[in-house]
Amino acid sequence: MSEVSAKATEKTTQQMALLRQFSVPIALVALVATATAVQPSFLSPNNIQDILTQTAPLALVVLGQAFVILVRGLDLSVASLMASVAVLATAFNATSNVMIPLIFASAILVSAVVGLINGLLVIKRNVSPFLATLAMMIVLQGIRFYYTQGAPSGSLPEGFRFLGAGRIAGIPVNVIAFTICFAGLAWLLHKSSFGRKIYITGGNPASADLVGIRSDRVTITCYVICSVMAGIAGLFLMGFVGTVDNWVGRGYELDAIVACVIGGIALTGGRGTLWGAAAGALILVLIFNIVIIMGLPVQAQMIIKGIIIIFAAALFAKAIQA
Amino acid sequence: MAFTNTNRPTRRLPLDPSLIVVALLLAAVVAVGFALSDRFGTTRNFMNVLEQAAALGFASLGQALVVIVGGIDLSIGAVVTASTVFMAGVVDLHPALMIPMIFGTLLFGAAIGFLNGFAIIKTGVHPLIVTLGTASILNGTVLIYTLQPTGGVPFWFEEFAYGRLGVIPISGLVMLLCFAVVWFLLRYSKTGRAFYAVGGSPEAARLNGIQSNRIILMAYSAGGFFAALSGTYFVSRTGVGDPRIGDPMTLASITPVILGGLVLGGGKGNILGVLLGVFLISLISNLLNYMNVSTFIQWVIQGLIIIFAVSIYVQKCKKL
Repeated sequence: MSEVSAKATEKTTQQMALLRQFSVPIALVALVATATAVQPSFLSPNNIQDILTQTAPLALVVLGQAFVILVRGLDLSVASLMASVAVLATAFNATSNVMIPLIFASAILVSAVVGLINGLLVIKRNVSPFLATLAMMIVLQGIRFYYTQGAPSGSLPEGFRFLGAGRIAGIPVNVIAFTICFAGLAWLLHKSSFGRKIYITGGNPASADLVGIRSDRVTITCYVICSVMAGIAGLFLMGFVGTVDNWVGRGYELDAIVACVIGGIALTGGRGTLWGAAAGALILVLIFNIVIIMGLPVQAQMIIKGIIIIFAAALFAKAIQA
Repeated sequence: MAFTNTNRPTRRLPLDPSLIVVALLLAAVVAVGFALSDRFGTTRNFMNVLEQAAALGFASLGQALVVIVGGIDLSIGAVVTASTVFMAGVVDLHPALMIPMIFGTLLFGAAIGFLNGFAIIKTGVHPLIVTLGTASILNGTVLIYTLQPTGGVPFWFEEFAYGRLGVIPISGLVMLLCFAVVWFLLRYSKTGRAFYAVGGSPEAARLNGIQSNRIILMAYSAGGFFAALSGTYFVSRTGVGDPRIGDPMTLASITPVILGGLVLGGGKGNILGVLLGVFLISLISNLLNYMNVSTFIQWVIQGLIIIFAVSIYVQKCKKL
């Protein structure tokens, strides 16, 4: 390679690195500016609260998905799990708010088992993450529909509505829940030694084993974290929507992956931050909102989402190649 | 691994072990069927299954070609949907265009596939993400155009789905013919063998003088082409363009590919295994219907089949 072209490559590399580093904040500012330009009331406190309430359930799923993608995985079963957990909640047929902790505990337990099975299939049976979680998605769907026979029934404690859509001192309750989960998981990923093990495993599982990290355990734990987050998100989304059907959270598996990609989590593993992933979820919800306030048909969201995922992924793919 | 002859992946063994596994499973299902129901083992039922298997067959054939070159196509379902709406929509306005539109629809599918391949090569983005994006764009566009089944085709076009040549359904025959042609090309043509080389290692293939990018483009175009053929079959069956009909096809198309012993990641597998996989899935679903098993339980079984198939093949590969 000649010196000139080497310099040129270096320059583009730097530009790409800069672009990659600041793409998430730039996108956020640009989206908020666009939305405010179209609809000046966009920045009203009430609208901001609404947007954050809409973002929280997706963001909860995204946090978990980020862990799985960091260890080179993928979880397609999260949306199916969300709906299954919602159906499980109705199965208690509870009317008293006292039952809510019990419902949460059983939902988390079931989710953890699902995550464990996903992880074991991927690690112990060498099934590709795509297929293992795909199969899990279909199996959960079958069990759920068989149990409900297509139409869920039962009742839920009133308190779920408050958890999903209520506010404490103006702050949406589900946003508070998200903040707590985010703080815990961000500490785990970015401050604890386990977090470093996740990055090393995602970067290269074989060399992780060589330095004494049980990469199989790390990976399985990430799948469990992902499923548990999806289970929690399912209960909050159920509270937000206010009813339970067999498709609570439909489409969230793809939206969560899109949010991670937008937020700079590399599908090849080992790169990206939880901040980025959460910001990715916010970007996605802002885009959906702008589509609505611009008066475009709802279906346009799908088109825009498709274009964005390809471009965002292309941006980061080029940066990594360079 | 060092002892396997990677130059000739299709001729390593006289019979691919995964072929034997699928064939055995197929035989087991047929045996169970004969034992459990006297209506199952009739020529009439088998011909019906062959007719109904066509949609899955076309979609899986396209998926298989993409998987062989190391990719995956999650836009198959969206292309199926878009091609039914495109075909039924245009023919409804201009009934005279029925025959040109058959080719137009197939070309449309191939063009979408080509765009997928082009985006994957140019951006270096994982095929999963690119085809997911394409699927979202296509589905959004179709749903803006219509929210319910729309359009229509001349009545005679149902011959493609329901017509019979003697006792053999035309759609099933076309599917078998497609598999035969693709099998022959993959095995005996230079380009076909290049598919396996590119799937094994694009870089090594390139160093051996194979234009990897061209092969990848061909594979995705073929994927789109066969998805559109599957869409054409649905139009023939239902007479309309349905904006949701393709939804389950994306994932459904992957199961026979896995059952047939094709490895996600590419470079391996026999297309005949995929055909047997299509028959296996269709017969299982046929048999479960005879046994009055609910669709919901059938989903569970489908998921377990995927896990089971992948697990045994992975273990087998480890032994080699």
